[in-house]
Amino acid sequence: MQANQVRQFVERYLAAFSAHIVETHPDYLTVKLPVEVDKDIGNRPFYWSWVEKMNLAYQPLVLTFAFHPDRMPDGLRVEHLHLGAMRMQQIFASAKKHGRFLCMYEKNTASLPGTGKRRSTPLVPWLGLNLKVSLICDKRRDIMLYLGINLHQPRLVHDFASFLFQLPLSPTIPDYFYTLDRKLSVEEAVELAKQEVDAVIAQEDQQWAMEARARLTEELDILAAYYEELARREPPAEQDKSESVEAADTPAEKAPIPLPVRATVQAREPVVEVKQSLDEYRSSGGRILDFLRANSIQETPREEINQEEWKKSTPEEEKQRRMDELRWQYEPRIEVHFINGGLFYLHSTPPAGKAHPAKTMRHLPASRRMM
Amino acid sequence: MPNIPVSFDTSWIAPLTERLHEDGPWDKWELFKLALEAEEAMAVREFDQLQCLKYLPLLSPFPHQLQTAERVLNEMRGRAILADEVGLGKTIEAGLIMKEYMVRGLAKKILVLVPASLVIQWTKELQQKFGIPAVAQKKEYMWRQHEVVVASIDTAKRDPHRRHVLDIDYDMLIIDEAHKLKNKRTRNYQFVKEIRKKYCLLLTATPIQNEMDELYNLINLLKPGHLGHSTSFASNYVEGKRQSKNSDKLREEIEKVMIRNKRSDGGIQFTSRRVQSIPIELSQEEMELYEGVTRFVRDQYQAESGLFNSLALITLQREVCSSKEAAFMTLYNMHQRTSEDSPLRGQILQLVEMIKRIETHSKAAKTVELLQEINDKVIIFTEYRATQNYLQKYLHDHGITSVPFRGGFKRSKKDWMTDLFQNRAQVLIATEAGGEGINLQFCNQVINYDMPWNPMRVEQRIGRVHRLGQKRDVHIYNLSTVGTIEEHILKLLYEKIDLFEMVIGELDDIVERLNLSSSLEENLTQIIMDSKSTREMAIKLDNMGQAIRASRQLHVSPSLSEAAEQ
Repeated sequence: MQANQVRQFVERYLAAFSAHIVETHPDYLTVKLPVEVDKDIGNRPFYWSWVEKMNLAYQPLVLTFAFHPDRMPDGLRVEHLHLGAMRMQQIFASAKKHGRFLCMYEKNTASLPGTGKRRSTPLVPWLGLNLKVSLICDKRRDIMLYLGINLHQPRLVHDFASFLFQLPLSPTIPDYFYTLDRKLSVEEAVELAKQEVDAVIAQEDQQWAMEARARLTEELDILAAYYEELARREPPAEQDKSESVEAADTPAEKAPIPLPVRATVQAREPVVEVKQSLDEYRSSGGRILDFLRANSIQETPREEINQEEWKKSTPEEEKQRRMDELRWQYEPRIEVHFINGGLFYLHSTPPAGKAHPAKTMRHLPASRRMM
Repeated sequence: MPNIPVSFDTSWIAPLTERLHEDGPWDKWELFKLALEAEEAMAVREFDQLQCLKYLPLLSPFPHQLQTAERVLNEMRGRAILADEVGLGKTIEAGLIMKEYMVRGLAKKILVLVPASLVIQWTKELQQKFGIPAVAQKKEYMWRQHEVVVASIDTAKRDPHRRHVLDIDYDMLIIDEAHKLKNKRTRNYQFVKEIRKKYCLLLTATPIQNEMDELYNLINLLKPGHLGHSTSFASNYVEGKRQSKNSDKLREEIEKVMIRNKRSDGGIQFTSRRVQSIPIELSQEEMELYEGVTRFVRDQYQAESGLFNSLALITLQREVCSSKEAAFMTLYNMHQRTSEDSPLRGQILQLVEMIKRIETHSKAAKTVELLQEINDKVIIFTEYRATQNYLQKYLHDHGITSVPFRGGFKRSKKDWMTDLFQNRAQVLIATEAGGEGINLQFCNQVINYDMPWNPMRVEQRIGRVHRLGQKRDVHIYNLSTVGTIEEHILKLLYEKIDLFEMVIGELDDIVERLNLSSSLEENLTQIIMDSKSTREMAIKLDNMGQAIRASRQLHVSPSLSEAAEQ
């Protein structure tokens, strides 16, 4: 994403939330964050739980974003936004959160055969699914799939999203149109999509997975040989003896004090979850900060942490752990993630051709915006 | 065809069905498009190409750093020892690799274990240079609350922290100064071994300090069994403690897990060092003071009265070479410690009287002259607070702006002083401890107002400015008062050991190899105190210098370190 693309993206994002742009300049823009945006990218969860619990009017956050590191305005508190900036990633996450599910209707006004005669025209229901297929081993590659599934007359097309982007769409059904019923349930459509994903994967070069498997096997073999030799050369009994003389890193270091195992946990009364309101909490003399902590920082309950005294792993355990790590690292697997999707009632028909687009085409984003 | 498991995300089906049923709520078309564009911008299009650079527009890594990141990704598969020589930017390499795995979505939960003194610096660097939301571990809840945690290994290994750390599956573990894990019997080693991790980077500039076992242990931490069992390793590769056999085979094996970029590889251009001694003639009064103090120090040392230990005495001896103010403070303290009827009080008061009579400031005057001549940013290093304060006042009186810098300053104050120096003042006056943890590459002039006796500390001083990113040659001026021990020490360090001629980092190896850091200062103290004449001292110092030179040239071949270095 180039600087101007970043800027366009951010401007469109803010416009989608009807944000108030305080100042706009070729090098930067200053914006008053709307509530939803503030919660997503403002980095102030404490403030929000405070405002909401106290029922206060909130003070909008005003931020200035610059887009060119060498052209930063002087005398302003300003943030450089680029693809890798933490705030940009938050904006991405926010867009994804608020752009998941859609229901749109094609509003094709001109050149309809029925125009003027007030005859109703049917719209065909399509399920649009944007998926990210990730091929994962110790490395990773993503394939984007933009599927469209006709729910009225079961069929599936690729590159559905870029087709949609050319159509005039509206969130409400236009006059003189009616929708055809869905003969395919969402579940059935998902089945179709799954089959198609499998077909796409099967077409892919499998070299990466075979290589990853080979690496895994090789590493596992080395590991097996090593622990076999270890067992032969250092029989367990002898090893215990030699390992018991552990050198401490510092002379002052003491052995960890053993915590009473589990007993404390069991002895405690079962905690009944009582949601106190802030007012109740304050009137009982509690500090606000503690309240906010208790209500917004999740701490791991003690009983969920292994309280047992730490023991050095046996060679067997160590080997097992290392084998698990190797599989975690190398084992080839494919994850199919849902990006977003929705129902599209269309008058136009997407170009036929069920085949997965040619490999070279796949690198072209559906949005036709090169990042 | 390999049978690859496919997991199909179905978590969205229920919410979509529900919305269909309720006819809403539906999201906005524009946000739908933006979400898709965001996903496309982040998608990883290639297995092998480095992705992280498009996320780091402000970073311009050196070619060797990029190559290292690529090799770790494509050849070492995320488990590697990064063993670049000092000053080549191991932290940048580690940051690149970390960022790469993060943008590929392969690493979320990351633990960085570093010495306690570097926790804040690492956190800041990851945030500022790499846009990685790293946090410095402070409270117990943070282990789980945050994805990228920087912590000190000594904290992490203790309860209750240890329980958390050993309970978490880390996508990536990074350990800085990993040579501290060379001994497999230490608790630190055992602890790191127990951490569950997918990718792992061990950073060290000195993968082998003494024995071959150290490297074996380090590699065994990364990939147990890579070099076989320690017994087979020994019989296959080890000739003696420091010597290897089958060097080619060993090198090949080591290369699979370790990357060591060296300055001598070329490609990385360091500017040169230009060293000058600036001789300073003391005025007669100053010389009298020097001789008076020297006599006092030697008498007390030989009398072994137990009143003053040898460290205090040698400090006084060195201080008087730095400035009369530094010596004054110590004399004053000594005076306070002696009983009222002690004959020593008289002697001390006499020295103090001499200080009061001195009108000249030969060393400071020469410094001002030098500063005016240089007419650029200069860092002055001194070992003593009193000298620092006095110099600041003296420079101020001569119309030269300066800021102080000490190890005791808080991080924010250090940054502030650095900033002031860069933008407002001509001179930064730093005491020894203040030398660490900041980068001052915008300055290329260093004055050593007095000399530390530990060569590593001299190196650290120069290392502040002479590092990657320094675009100009570095000028070093060593002030040396003629006819004092300062002159002798400088001769030893400069002429005999060629200290300043060494390239960055070379000294590390030598000091480590000869175990100089602990013994050099001690030896110097003994020589200076026990010599009955200046001539005797000169001869002894000369002998010592020759011994160091000789052992430096002594190369045992083929040593393991050389095998590993190729």
